[in-house]
Amino acid sequence: MSWENFRFALFEKAPEALFEHSMIVVITITIAILISVPLGVLLTRPKYKGLGLVTLNVLNVLQAIPGLAIIALALPILGLGMKPAVVALLFQSLLPIVRNTIAGLIGVSPDVKEAACGMGMSQRRILLEVEIPLAMPIILSGIRTATVYVVSIGTLAALIGAGGLGNLIMGGLALFRPEYLLVGAGLGAIMAITLERSLSYLERRITPPGMRVS
Amino acid sequence: MIELKQITKQYLGQAMPAVENLSLSIPEGEICVLVGPSGCGKSTILRMINRMIEPTSGTVTIKGEDVSSTDSDQLRMGIGYVIQQIGLLPHRTIAENIAIVPRLYKWPKERIAKRVDELIVMMGLDLEKTRGKYPSQLSGGQMQRVGVARAMAVDPPIMLMDEPFGAVDPIARNHLQDELLRLQKEIKKTIVFVTHDINEAIKMGDNIAIFDAGKLVQFGTPEEILTNPKNSFVENFIGHDRVVKKLNLYRADDAMQPVGCLVKESDLQSAGQRMKDAGTEVAFLLNEVGQRLGHLTFAEFEAGKGDLEGLRKKVLRTEKAFVQISTSLPDALSLLLEFDSDYLGILKGDELCGMLSFKDIRKHVYRKDGE
Repeated sequence: MSWENFRFALFEKAPEALFEHSMIVVITITIAILISVPLGVLLTRPKYKGLGLVTLNVLNVLQAIPGLAIIALALPILGLGMKPAVVALLFQSLLPIVRNTIAGLIGVSPDVKEAACGMGMSQRRILLEVEIPLAMPIILSGIRTATVYVVSIGTLAALIGAGGLGNLIMGGLALFRPEYLLVGAGLGAIMAITLERSLSYLERRITPPGMRVS
Repeated sequence: MIELKQITKQYLGQAMPAVENLSLSIPEGEICVLVGPSGCGKSTILRMINRMIEPTSGTVTIKGEDVSSTDSDQLRMGIGYVIQQIGLLPHRTIAENIAIVPRLYKWPKERIAKRVDELIVMMGLDLEKTRGKYPSQLSGGQMQRVGVARAMAVDPPIMLMDEPFGAVDPIARNHLQDELLRLQKEIKKTIVFVTHDINEAIKMGDNIAIFDAGKLVQFGTPEEILTNPKNSFVENFIGHDRVVKKLNLYRADDAMQPVGCLVKESDLQSAGQRMKDAGTEVAFLLNEVGQRLGHLTFAEFEAGKGDLEGLRKKVLRTEKAFVQISTSLPDALSLLLEFDSDYLGILKGDELCGMLSFKDIRKHVYRKDGE
């Protein structure tokens, strides 16, 4: 271990790796939200309720495939770079969000929906003004789970040339430089914890005042 | 005003229809109570009026217009809807909850704010303390007041109430019922009120429709139903205290008779003669300044003749046996028993305007029964 190596890893290598890693996380989670929340909403509408169980099972199976395997599988199909990495990570992040969106929407009291409907609120209004706000804390908690997941599995994306903190870790392993390894893994951990904490703060903030426990 | 024509509702997979060939017309400006044991289809009927449920066959018309030809959201916006579970939006304040329908109508902000304040006060809630609160911070009774206020926000001519007071404690329920009745005198809405409690039905209803297994068994005023139950089902549903329940429909002034005779305290010894002259069995005694002391029956006078002091004591025993004219007959009956007295003096304000005996009550009920 030398201070020189450590300094080099932290100040020369880390900023770019951190930026790439953040990009992977942000892009993946954004796409995951854009797919999962509408999917969750759709699967709780009376018309498509039957599909809900099927979709959840399919997602469960996808979730069960190890992250490394998905990344490895993405390589022959999608090639190298960030794009295949994002696609691979997407498979891992859809389930928690879809599942929580469904759970949150189903959890909205039927009395509240009945009253809203009886007052003449349209189905669209009920969804946007009643169901989603009331389900929001649970949806957010799904997003939080998915985010932490992507941050950690994202380190494997370096294997298919997506860059990110994984580069530092792989590099450290290959070159026997524990300093690189320490910086890569350490920053990954800090990133995961920070995102987890701030999303959990947001979750508390977004819970409607009338529904906060204590 | 609301007309149900040959309504049948058959749920899939159920052998019996929930509602079978029902025709009912609900008069305007009155409270019509739908009552029956659970599962008799009363809630289904209510929910077919605002199209929360669509009938399998038959039509519902409001003011002559078939509801199935209207937009269901528009229809519901124009009909107040109160349910037992209330269903206030937990993430909105009380003021925001009441403002829901006015917002759907796109009222200007100031008009909404004014109306919300008006309704909170009308419901007997503390304006400043309630407005900004969330539903979870209110008691069950307060929440249901908000539920009713919300349903009345745009002053709809029709209100549908599905066991609105079923989930609140008996004291609050009584209070809410009284207030709704008081309010109804001013607002004169067409209210369709569902309950399984016959006492609530008798108290609230201008008309009562009794249902059993999806069929209308009897429709009429509380008096008609209590007097002439159509069959043994209705009789059993009302209960064996039918006549006592019927007393609830009347007040002291319905059954009272004019005061027989008034006697001054100083003329006590001539009270017997006075009663004979007036052809009555009871005299009310006044002191020198005209205050009411009580009453004395002819029999009591005859038994204690000569003992003026004894008679005076007898009179003073009934000192409290006076009630206001608006007292309900069951209360009056209870007071007659409580004072162990044959008569009650009936007061209008501070004026003695009549008297009431067991016999009067019996005669009144009998007369009504004979009608």
